[in-house]
Amino acid sequence: MAKGQPLRFELDDDDLKLFSEEAAEQLELLDSSLVQLEGEPDPDLVQQIFRAAHTLKGSSATIGHKRMASLTHAMETVLDQVRQGKKQPTSDIVDSLLAALDALRILADEVQTRIESGVDIDPLVADLDAALSDDGMAEVAAAIRPAAAQIELTPEQQQVLTAATDQGKSPYLVEVAIADSCQLPSIRCYQALQELDALGVVGFTRPERSTIEAGAAEFSVVSVVASSESDDQLRTAVATISDIDNVRIQHLTVAALAEPIALLRDDPAGANQRAPGQARLAVTGDSGSPATAAGLAPSRKVAQSVRIDVERLDGLMNLVGELVIDRTRLQQVREQLAGVLKDANLTELTENFEETTSHLARVTDELQDQIMRSRMLPVRSVLTRLPRVVRDVAAKCGKKVELVTSGEDTELDRSVIEEISDPLVHVLRNAVDHGIEPPEERRAAGKPETGTVSVTAWNQEAYIYLSVRDDGRGIDTTTLRRKAVERGIVTPEAAEVASDQTVLQYVFYAGLSTATAVSDVSGRGVGMDIVRTNIERLNGQVLVKSTPGQGSEFVIQLPLTLATTKALMVTANDIVYALPLVSVTEALAECDADMHFVGGHRTLRLRDKLLPVIDLASALGDGRPRQLARDRFVVAARHSDRQVAFLVDRLLGEQDVVVKSLGNLIGNRKGLTGATILGDGTLGLIIDSASLVAEQVRNVAAIA
Amino acid sequence: MAARTIDPVTSTETHSNNEEHVVIFRLGQEYYAIDIQTVQEIVRMQAITAIPGTDFWVEGITNLRGRVVPVIDLRKRCNVTVSDYTPETRIVVVSSATGMVGIIVDAVSEVMRIPADQVEVPSSVVNVSENAYLRAIAKLDDRLVSLMDLDGVLPGDGNYGSRVDGDGSAVAA
Repeated sequence: MAKGQPLRFELDDDDLKLFSEEAAEQLELLDSSLVQLEGEPDPDLVQQIFRAAHTLKGSSATIGHKRMASLTHAMETVLDQVRQGKKQPTSDIVDSLLAALDALRILADEVQTRIESGVDIDPLVADLDAALSDDGMAEVAAAIRPAAAQIELTPEQQQVLTAATDQGKSPYLVEVAIADSCQLPSIRCYQALQELDALGVVGFTRPERSTIEAGAAEFSVVSVVASSESDDQLRTAVATISDIDNVRIQHLTVAALAEPIALLRDDPAGANQRAPGQARLAVTGDSGSPATAAGLAPSRKVAQSVRIDVERLDGLMNLVGELVIDRTRLQQVREQLAGVLKDANLTELTENFEETTSHLARVTDELQDQIMRSRMLPVRSVLTRLPRVVRDVAAKCGKKVELVTSGEDTELDRSVIEEISDPLVHVLRNAVDHGIEPPEERRAAGKPETGTVSVTAWNQEAYIYLSVRDDGRGIDTTTLRRKAVERGIVTPEAAEVASDQTVLQYVFYAGLSTATAVSDVSGRGVGMDIVRTNIERLNGQVLVKSTPGQGSEFVIQLPLTLATTKALMVTANDIVYALPLVSVTEALAECDADMHFVGGHRTLRLRDKLLPVIDLASALGDGRPRQLARDRFVVAARHSDRQVAFLVDRLLGEQDVVVKSLGNLIGNRKGLTGATILGDGTLGLIIDSASLVAEQVRNVAAIA
Repeated sequence: MAARTIDPVTSTETHSNNEEHVVIFRLGQEYYAIDIQTVQEIVRMQAITAIPGTDFWVEGITNLRGRVVPVIDLRKRCNVTVSDYTPETRIVVVSSATGMVGIIVDAVSEVMRIPADQVEVPSSVVNVSENAYLRAIAKLDDRLVSLMDLDGVLPGDGNYGSRVDGDGSAVAA
């Protein structure tokens, strides 16, 4: 393999992009369905998988990606055997297919990178071939030969035709090929059939008449016609139809009708499928349908959806963001004007203006909502990856695990989908590796040998929740307590008094793992802290619950979109800050707050909790001279189990904020996620409260 | 907001080898010049939001028609006496290696073509190591103009505006 070699493909950039999109779609389909193939597969599923492999083969051959075409060909061959019931999809076969799928993904990426990845397909192809050779290659060879280049008439069809020949008509074999460039080949097939109908008796067609009439034929029609016209007349009649590539006609003898008739073209048209070399990328609206690509579409219909470049959607989203800001700004102007206009006794004008601005506000909200929704995707694409993960992990640690997923249709912003996958997979691996017990242990505990992990997604208000629940042994808080002390995460005294719920949170600290042995899968103590960091970076949280002997549950809560955030606007030392509402639990006036000094640190007593108080301006390192406001406010914020109270000067109310980067010159600032444009056109800073909270908790822990 | 955009016709003219096409501005009593190609636009002083914990010469960020643009006070950066903002004060928005940056100057005086024979690379007169951003001196009839290398003022690696220590504690500016 010439790894690192630049590659060249036979299409321009647009086509390659199309190829990549289609390949990604088919790969995802394979990813989600291959795992279900094992055992007694549903025929529809097998058909679907076969089509996906077939489509990939065709499109990779078209762009000249030979290795990808060879590998998909090998997969297709095996799948075809399974489809025909000649082969049982054993786990060996599924393993080979999955291994091939992994390689396919890398091969598909090569089209983007144009650098040879060094994937060696030969062993994979050999593996797949070996799966077939078990019961003899002869059968296989027969099966993979292109659909016979011959046709055979049924007795009824022969009868129809001989009846016509008895009246002096002559039988002809008519093969019609539609041009590759044709946009609607099915219609041309239908027209050809109509022409032939008009000129004689059509006794046989392939595909069947009903298929052609349903508009589901593809690029060729083979028929046997008994007609009193000459072959030239037949040819001329059919060839007048647009987009006909060629018409081949052979005069048959009546006796020949009883025998298999050899076709004139060595074209597997009989299967109504395009040979791989001819296959091309479908660019019509319904190109996404694998059925169409395999030439087996039940019917052609106008696509109800369009593909939009994500960049364009992002652009729209940004524009709407601007509009939202202008709306807020306009509302402020309206309030200011209202006073002036009322004084001037211009009530009608004022009312008009107020009506218009509030209408604009409603439309803007609606527009924002709609555009946000157009960026939403069902979480399915993430969940479909999971069965494979569970299968692999369970196999590695010798466990029996069943995965149950629900809520696949729950939608969320694609930017969130991209970010959620890795943390989710990590939590799931943990559930299988740490949560579910080995079969013997489960039996001993009176549980079914097969453990269950359920992944559920749902929406609630402006958040999406993803829960990973297992029915395993639960998290051992005693071990966790001991390890936390050993690693110096908490003092022995703190560990002693901490409630079990508090101790559970230790799973999110770096360097902690309750697995007694480090396995290939998990137990290295990295991961859960990264999971939490990643989720919090997205303005989300992770919660953990566990009952010894009955299992654990991790719940990930995320905002529906990352483009806008609801925030509480506050000021500190004359700078306006936005505190994301996801973390804010309550806000109260300093004079009403139950404040104490504990160990020289200001502490807020909020019901049964003691919260460290952070002066927001100081925590951010605002060293400019300041005048402390007289009546200040405290805002309680929570991140997972950690709670703090921010001391701020004033509360300005809630606002949707659009996050903008601070720019390269300023770069990433501690405690800030970016800036946002305020109603008056000036800028406010968005607080990264998770990092401030984490830092404060660290400081306090260091002192304690 | 009275934005004054540099006339695109003059700004797109080819940069000839024997002259420098520059924007001249004033910091305190001194005159500086930057390559006109780098100047995006010049706006009047407008609201700037401070960013806590950044270097003293980083003024903060401003909203330039929906874009968040960092602003630095070139007077502080170049150790020039800082006086209050006046109606003459401008933000010169430039594109640099670190993206768009606004620089506060006391006044923008003119756009000019300086013949190469009036430009001299600084030698003994100016200590170069301390003034890495000084590229050359132009000797005009009535005054001296320092030709400035913006990338010397605005280093390309991000987080330059940071004065936060490694352990995360902030240093008062």
